[in-house]
Amino acid sequence: MSLQLVFDALSLGGIYAIAALGIALIFGVMNLVNFAHGQFIACSVFALILPSADAVATMGLGALPAPLLIAAILAFGAGLAVAAEALVFRPLRNASPVALMVASFALGILLQNILLVAYGGRPKAVSLWPQLGSPVQVLSAQVPLLQLLVIGAVALILAGLALMLKRARVGLEMRAAAEDFDMARMLGVRANGVISGAFALSGALAAVVALVLVTQTGVADVRMGGQIMLVAFIATVVGGMGSLAGAVAAGLALGAASALLQAFLPVEARPFRDAFLYGLVILVLLFRPQGLFASVGAKPRV
Amino acid sequence: MAKLGVFDLAVRYGKLLAVKDVSFAVAEGERLFVSGPNGAGKSSLLGAICGAVRAAHGRVEMDGDILSGRAPEEIARRGLSMVPEGRRIFAGLTVRENLMIGTGQRRDRAAVADDLETVYDAFPILRERAHANAGALSGGQQQMLAISRALMTNPKLMLVDEPSLGLAPKVVDEVYERLCALQALRGLTLVIVEQSSTRAARVGGRMLLMRGGRVVADGDATAFAAGDLLAEAYFGDPS
Repeated sequence: MSLQLVFDALSLGGIYAIAALGIALIFGVMNLVNFAHGQFIACSVFALILPSADAVATMGLGALPAPLLIAAILAFGAGLAVAAEALVFRPLRNASPVALMVASFALGILLQNILLVAYGGRPKAVSLWPQLGSPVQVLSAQVPLLQLLVIGAVALILAGLALMLKRARVGLEMRAAAEDFDMARMLGVRANGVISGAFALSGALAAVVALVLVTQTGVADVRMGGQIMLVAFIATVVGGMGSLAGAVAAGLALGAASALLQAFLPVEARPFRDAFLYGLVILVLLFRPQGLFASVGAKPRV
Repeated sequence: MAKLGVFDLAVRYGKLLAVKDVSFAVAEGERLFVSGPNGAGKSSLLGAICGAVRAAHGRVEMDGDILSGRAPEEIARRGLSMVPEGRRIFAGLTVRENLMIGTGQRRDRAAVADDLETVYDAFPILRERAHANAGALSGGQQQMLAISRALMTNPKLMLVDEPSLGLAPKVVDEVYERLCALQALRGLTLVIVEQSSTRAARVGGRMLLMRGGRVVADGDATAFAAGDLLAEAYFGDPS
């Protein structure tokens, strides 16, 4: 197996894992599958550029120096998600999970249409950090610099998140809330704090995905969050709803499987790569319907 | 002033009135048992006091402060802690993490560390298993953890729902012995739902007897066990 393939699998899987985590975090604390996550990603992409209907984008936030840009876009993603929670999901806190899910669809459609009005429907060329496309020699492989950065960033984010969940007060509260939210509240854990925290993290993760997507493709498209949202959602199901480790593992596995299929399928079967990929997903779920890592928190609550 | 005051409390689930016209007061440092048959409304009463269940009518006060209508976390932060039925420990968290979860609002870290020592001394098994997953504990140990977890919030008043449920009698003895010792040590006010009135009489304290959502008797637990009020509550005319 070529080294190139390993980098492809890791970087694609890493991005899937980050997107899946964004969904699993929120599902964990409030049993909500947030289908607006894809639009959080799209909005974070468009936050980089100024509103206009032009075919070539003019940078807004995207013109900032890299460290500032990254901080600003993470803050934007987090702020958007926290605002969405406060305005849309908080009033529905006691509604059924189905009502919450439908509300997340509605929010997604609303956000997409806001983007359409402000930026028009045509995909735009965005040139963010084009120098990251230049290849680097790693042992026997030629790897784009961006891929290496993505793999490093994903590793850093996962380690940081694991540490936060294990060590920080808010992490402890999130884990407890994911198991039994009502009990956590009876011990003085503030529901609003935990839920806002989960949304902020989820939104920041959406912004990370947005930065990678736009750098990789050089395009800002109103529909760009949809595809990765689908893969991320499937990853959370395969990983076991509510299990963060499961979402990461399944995201990595989906990315790896996708890269492997791309490399090893006969040329004439490659256009059907996704059919093979989702076939694998169905197989996994046939054998483990509860997902790879069924969590304590996913059990129905009384 | 009473520690806890319950006035005309009612709890309704749809058409079912689980608790109706319940009024009582608990004094500082008192131990109050709430007993009665299944479906008497004991757990609903505790739920309404701690904010887990919305009261349909009436109000609850602690130290003159109105608790009704507040979120459960705000009630907990005012010093009312709950040990729920079925214990509801966080099985995926370690024993120590379970103990620390309710200490978020406490600013005095030294006092938290002291309290941790207190519960470790009361229940040495928790110290021993501090870094084990709480789900791996036995039923009795989980009950001790649930009590300790509630204590770590530094409550003034603690509600304990059916601490003997599903435990061997010897283990129940031990749980009550430690619970009473901790009460004496901390000057806690305790409200305990206990199905077995003979158990309540053995431990000692005041007892409320509930039936059909109402309080039908109120008096010393030992007197109940001797008298026939109990038979009246279980078998008498519910109106």
